[in-house]
Amino acid sequence: MTSQPHILVIDDEPQILRALRTILTAKHFRVSVAARGEEGLALAAAEAPDVIILDLSLPDLDGVEVCARLREWTQVPIIVLSVRESERDKVMALDSGADDYLTKPFGIEELLARIRVAQRHSTQAMGSKKTVITVGPLEIDLAQHIVKRNGVEVKLTATEFKLLAYLAANAGRLLTHRAILAAVWDPADVDRVEYLRVYIRQLRKKLEDDPEQPQYILNEPGIGYRFVMED
Amino acid sequence: MASNYRSRSRVVGIVFPYIFTLLVTALTTGLLFVLRSSINPAIVALLYLLPVGMSTFLRGLGPGILAAFAAFLAFNYFFIFPYYTFSVHQTQDLLALLVFLVVAVVISQLVGRTRHSLEVATAREHEAIRLYELSQSLSGLRDERGIVQVIAQQTKETFQADRVEVFVEGGKGRERINLQIPPVEFRGGVKPSLVVPLQAVRGLVGEIRLWRSDPSLVSAEERLLRTISSQGALALERAWLTQTETRAKVLEESDRLKSSLLSSVSHELRTPLATIKAVVTSLYSGEIEWDSEARQELLAVLEEETDQLDRLVGNLLNMSRIEAGALQPQRRWNHLAEIVAGVMGRLRQRRIARAAAAAYIFEVDIPEDLPLVPVDYVLMEQVFANLISNSIKYSPANTTIKISAWRVDDDTLLIRVSNQGLGVSDEHLERIFDKFYRVTAADRVTGAGLGLSICKGIVEAHGGRIWAENLPDGFAFNFTLPTDWEGAPPRVTIND
Repeated sequence: MTSQPHILVIDDEPQILRALRTILTAKHFRVSVAARGEEGLALAAAEAPDVIILDLSLPDLDGVEVCARLREWTQVPIIVLSVRESERDKVMALDSGADDYLTKPFGIEELLARIRVAQRHSTQAMGSKKTVITVGPLEIDLAQHIVKRNGVEVKLTATEFKLLAYLAANAGRLLTHRAILAAVWDPADVDRVEYLRVYIRQLRKKLEDDPEQPQYILNEPGIGYRFVMED
Repeated sequence: MASNYRSRSRVVGIVFPYIFTLLVTALTTGLLFVLRSSINPAIVALLYLLPVGMSTFLRGLGPGILAAFAAFLAFNYFFIFPYYTFSVHQTQDLLALLVFLVVAVVISQLVGRTRHSLEVATAREHEAIRLYELSQSLSGLRDERGIVQVIAQQTKETFQADRVEVFVEGGKGRERINLQIPPVEFRGGVKPSLVVPLQAVRGLVGEIRLWRSDPSLVSAEERLLRTISSQGALALERAWLTQTETRAKVLEESDRLKSSLLSSVSHELRTPLATIKAVVTSLYSGEIEWDSEARQELLAVLEEETDQLDRLVGNLLNMSRIEAGALQPQRRWNHLAEIVAGVMGRLRQRRIARAAAAAYIFEVDIPEDLPLVPVDYVLMEQVFANLISNSIKYSPANTTIKISAWRVDDDTLLIRVSNQGLGVSDEHLERIFDKFYRVTAADRVTGAGLGLSICKGIVEAHGGRIWAENLPDGFAFNFTLPTDWEGAPPRVTIND
């Protein structure tokens, strides 16, 4: 890794490119831009960026397809951008390999936060994984299957623990309903969102201070869940 | 076969009255012959007038005349001396015979004329009844198919036709109609016995085709057929005029909607744009030195206004989807409480909304054991957001906005968003869910008047119902949501 992290932005809107290039350069990133999907794929191969920001509506290729083609050879973090009304596209992009998404219009702080999470994950993927995750009052020991809240052990059922462990191991990342259901339950159960609703609620009751205003297990409307790790 | 049988029966129909007449005369002759010795010929002559009158009255003028002649001959043959010959010896008898003949014929004619007038009157009455029925059944009809059906039916019944076909030419915005009774696929070959044009004020619109064994029409029938066709044509024309009028009204209405959309949207778009432009140019300007507090304030305004624009565009998009019937909820099993918590969370995030919301007390009463609902999370969030934002707009500060939900029956939830506002009068209750409808003047409250109609569209797309209601101490929006999806509750087991 060079001292300046390298970001590739693939978007066909010149104004967005102009704004992102200016802002990200000011935040000490090295920025490359591409206005078309094919160009973006070529740049990704040539320059090996650290993070890719990808708009889902491109003139030549479908953003979902760009995701899938990138994932054929690289694990570089991909953050997709799309408009609010296309939850289905976002889920498709996430399921075909994107790491996170942002809804246009977005605040730049949100984008920077997503970039930070993405970077952390790509470095984590290279290094060894932690077996004990600590978030606020929570302590999750993935190896020992022990969860403590304020130092007191919390009793979880097997499925509850499996779900929490999966969320915590991917802390900060957005996980789609399908991804969680396939990993924790069974690939045949990917459409059983009701399982998730029920178990997430149980987990929140056991772990959150106020289950109605969760701080750790957050809902991403229409898309999935994110386990938040405080920065 | 059928027509053969029919023509034979018609021949019988013509011949039978004459045979009947001869039989009646013969019967009379027989009776009188038995009594010949005891009654004199003058009485006999009088009695012979009976079959003559009866034949004319029952069977018409022709048979009556025949009866007169038959009676004349029989009288002469059997009752005038010398018997059994047609010769007459006494002048007196000859005179009597001639007088009898004249009287019989005159009676026949008189009775016949009465009978004919009666027949004509009856026919007229039938005709009048038919026409009355026709105009009765046409008067209520507004669609062409129904009118054509009536024309064909009436024609067939009135003229005892084997088959009737009514053909109406297609044209601008109207379809071509071709109706046959009885509905047979068989076409071509046999030419119709009669073709009558359907003549409307603005020209020929079609024709009635009629098949029957007797192709000729008596004048009354012709008159009736012409009346049916002209009444039918008029009814068709009236229907077309009504349709044109309705179309014009619909166009006018959609025109009105479009212009009210344009005026409301351009106003709603311009207001934030004006603010944004003013803030940006003043931040740009080197003439004013902004202290950091003022700068923060301006930036906050900028952000809120862009959010406002984003919401408006989202609303417009949703509205156009609802209008086009393209709103397809991505249904998933969801906790209602989670959706409401999400909305409340978002409300706290937005700077200005937070300021506005801070002036209200929010109460959420959603029972723990409420079943999951199969809804589109994002759309449902929008429903709550719109209802809450509406409640904030129309109720005074420091009052309570309450969100509650409960089961009304096995497969329905009722959700209520209530506030302590003034409420609206009954005539507005239904209409507040209409597009661009506002209870207050447009310039007093912000918004495009789309929020509630979007709520309605979304709730209905989920199979629910939404309505507003005045409460003793405020105002409430209510909506229902089904708790089963494709007829089934969720497949969940809570514990391992």
